[in-house]
Amino acid sequence: MLFPTTDFAIFFCLVFLGHWWLNHNARLWKFFMIGASYVFYGWWNWRYVFLLAAVSLITQIAAIAVSHQQQPRRRMMVMGLGVAATIAPLVYFKYYGFFTVNVTNAATSLGLSFAPPLLQVVLPVGVSFYTFMAISYVVDIYRGDFELAGWTDLFLYLSFFPHLVAGPIVRPNELIPQLDIRRDPRHIDVVGASWLILGGLFKKVVIANYLAAAIVDPVFGDPARHSSPEAILGIVAYAVQIYCDFSGYTDIAIGVAKLLGFRFPQNFDRPYSARSVQEFWRRWHMTLSRWLRDYLYIPLGGNRRGTVRTYINLMITMLLGGLWHGAAWHFVAWGGLHGLYLAAGHWKQSRRDAGTLAEPPDTVLVHWLQRLATFTLVCIAWTLFRADSVATALTLLGRTVTAWGEPSPLITVPVVLAIGVGLATQFLPHRPAERLKAALSQLRPVPLGISIAVVLFVISTLGPRGVAPFIYFQF
Amino acid sequence: MATGTKDHTIQGRPDKDADPTGGAPRRRSMPAGRVLVAILVGLLVWSLLYAPELKRASEAQPDGIRKTVSLAVLRPIVWVEDRAGLTRLVDNAASAMGRHPGEPVGGGVEGISTDVEPLPSLPPPTGAHPDRPRTHDTRLRDGSSTNPLRVVVVGDSLAQGIGTFAERVFRPNLVNVFREGQISTGLSREDYFDWPARMRYIVHRARPDLTIVMLGENDGQSLVDPNGNTVAQIGTSDFPSAYTDRAREFATIASSEGGHVIWVGLPQPRDTRRWDFITRQNAAFAQVAAELPNVSYFDTWSTFAAPNGGYTAYYREGKHVTLVRADDGVHFNADGYTILMRLIAGFAGQQFQLDPRTYEG
Repeated sequence: MLFPTTDFAIFFCLVFLGHWWLNHNARLWKFFMIGASYVFYGWWNWRYVFLLAAVSLITQIAAIAVSHQQQPRRRMMVMGLGVAATIAPLVYFKYYGFFTVNVTNAATSLGLSFAPPLLQVVLPVGVSFYTFMAISYVVDIYRGDFELAGWTDLFLYLSFFPHLVAGPIVRPNELIPQLDIRRDPRHIDVVGASWLILGGLFKKVVIANYLAAAIVDPVFGDPARHSSPEAILGIVAYAVQIYCDFSGYTDIAIGVAKLLGFRFPQNFDRPYSARSVQEFWRRWHMTLSRWLRDYLYIPLGGNRRGTVRTYINLMITMLLGGLWHGAAWHFVAWGGLHGLYLAAGHWKQSRRDAGTLAEPPDTVLVHWLQRLATFTLVCIAWTLFRADSVATALTLLGRTVTAWGEPSPLITVPVVLAIGVGLATQFLPHRPAERLKAALSQLRPVPLGISIAVVLFVISTLGPRGVAPFIYFQF
Repeated sequence: MATGTKDHTIQGRPDKDADPTGGAPRRRSMPAGRVLVAILVGLLVWSLLYAPELKRASEAQPDGIRKTVSLAVLRPIVWVEDRAGLTRLVDNAASAMGRHPGEPVGGGVEGISTDVEPLPSLPPPTGAHPDRPRTHDTRLRDGSSTNPLRVVVVGDSLAQGIGTFAERVFRPNLVNVFREGQISTGLSREDYFDWPARMRYIVHRARPDLTIVMLGENDGQSLVDPNGNTVAQIGTSDFPSAYTDRAREFATIASSEGGHVIWVGLPQPRDTRRWDFITRQNAAFAQVAAELPNVSYFDTWSTFAAPNGGYTAYYREGKHVTLVRADDGVHFNADGYTILMRLIAGFAGQQFQLDPRTYEG
């Protein structure tokens, strides 16, 4: 079930009613929410609910096994087995085709005969997200950071519909305790939630969908036919599109959770205002960044084992981060490039710490130059991410410098305006928005509902017809 | 970790997120009952404002319970709004925001803006495809940098896919590619998207040398004319011949000004329940291609089938294996569209002597 559909609107009204009606009875409420979340998930394909249930079952069995082991080595071994069992469905569903094709062709080129079954394994939506949440649960129990949760808590933690298909990747200690706290039905931040939901819809439906159709898809579809200005603007438009698409989804998810009385962690914090790639990763898909840091980079040794090992750990983390996004070499290349960026940033910082490299002047102009440089580096990497192959990405990057003087019919006022609005969201001050929200919160329910309707009508009318799926659903 | 229900709240205090700047005004919260009222009022008023558009979208849906229920709810609302003049008001507001409320939901007849000279008359091809001599066909002219070959790709989402990769396969200096694919369209629902009208317009404006057609994936529904009248009910004995007539009409228009047409057949879907219907569609396309000059049928079904004739997501070129089908079991992925488009270009070379310099082999 997609958020911006009438199906979801009807579903949510029913869930909202049941949720607050059963709020006083924790046990019944949990069963109700698990049922609702499974309906939400099964709306795509009812068979997927069995996978979700199986991953939940495996996770809880692994967590129980870990919690019962006191001997450190055994405990670690059980945790490792538990994580492997939890991640196995993701590996199969996401990487079988990639593995089959690459291994078969590599074997053929070496003159070997190796022919694994050529199955097409369909990737169930959301599996990458809830698998990472499942892993964090098992590892947190191993580390003693979290106690074993009950079966219903664990099933609801993994399936809770607002985060189910594309995050944010919520930690056990951020969500499971909230399941046992009785929510206060008298104080719902309806304006804050509506702001997030409508803002997310605007970003997705109006900006992201428009840019995709108007410039991104044509430019990335056939880079060789586009001029340098179109290639550059197409890449920048994709940076805006993916931000508006993904942060739009996350905003809707957080807003929906807020209406149900839940707090989700922030997932985006104006990423294109970052002045370094390190800072970008602290602002972009924050729940994935910290997951990779806490469950991959730090366990690998982080920066505690010397300079070379730090660079290796950064590269491994980012390469696997790239592979998490998709089973294709261009995603690996995207991750690898970010790994190089981070390693270079780390090297530069270590030189500054050692006093062999001067700190840049702390001026507004330098800050903006740093932002521009960071945005350019991020855009170069996005080219690898969006293109269907590394070769296509390189062709497009080449066109940014080799096709000046050719006509650029895709550069239109609405395209430039949409990019401008998307980028402006990175730099808008908080205060006027807060004032507006505070003013709107004074409205009574009917005028507030009418205001919501008018905004929804504008969004529906400005956006292209039909419902385009969110980019991150494919991951 | 707590396991029992606690009698304290997490929302009984002002929202911390509401005040990130430290001094911004506080927001007032609302009880759940009033929130539900606000949500329901919001959805109700939105559906009233958006009812004409929702009705149009519902009318475009395939027959079924969803369409029936939607129209049962929306028709009376729109009727009242029409009488009250609200529809015109809302349509004017939509027009002001760039929407064209009057056009078919699938899209209107506009877009290509290339006024070109009529196609030159050319002699028949000197060598035809060995399987099917086409003595009544003419040869495709050679493209040049001053007068590139004009290739139009039309059809549904599958055509959008090959259209994108046609631009890569054909050489930009010798071929202009016009991508005219429209998602969710087909031959069945002319009230949703009128392909014959669109094709007439394309031929008139662009005079394509070669039209690549790939559609039919959404045609598992009754045939409806542009006014919404049912022409042939799906499942009846009238349907096959009426559907073939539509394919023939479309191919005739596409080839009417001396242009050539490659009708790309539908590939196997993973869902075997649809095989029988699609096989009959492909037979109709092949029959039309056999009847008309300068129209040829490309057999996608067999090209991408497994050695046992069944569905496979992989394609073998020699010993090299490529994953070619998308997860939905209907469309192709980027590699698949590239391979398909190369095969189509090669097929155009066999059938109409398309100059091999114009495409990547």
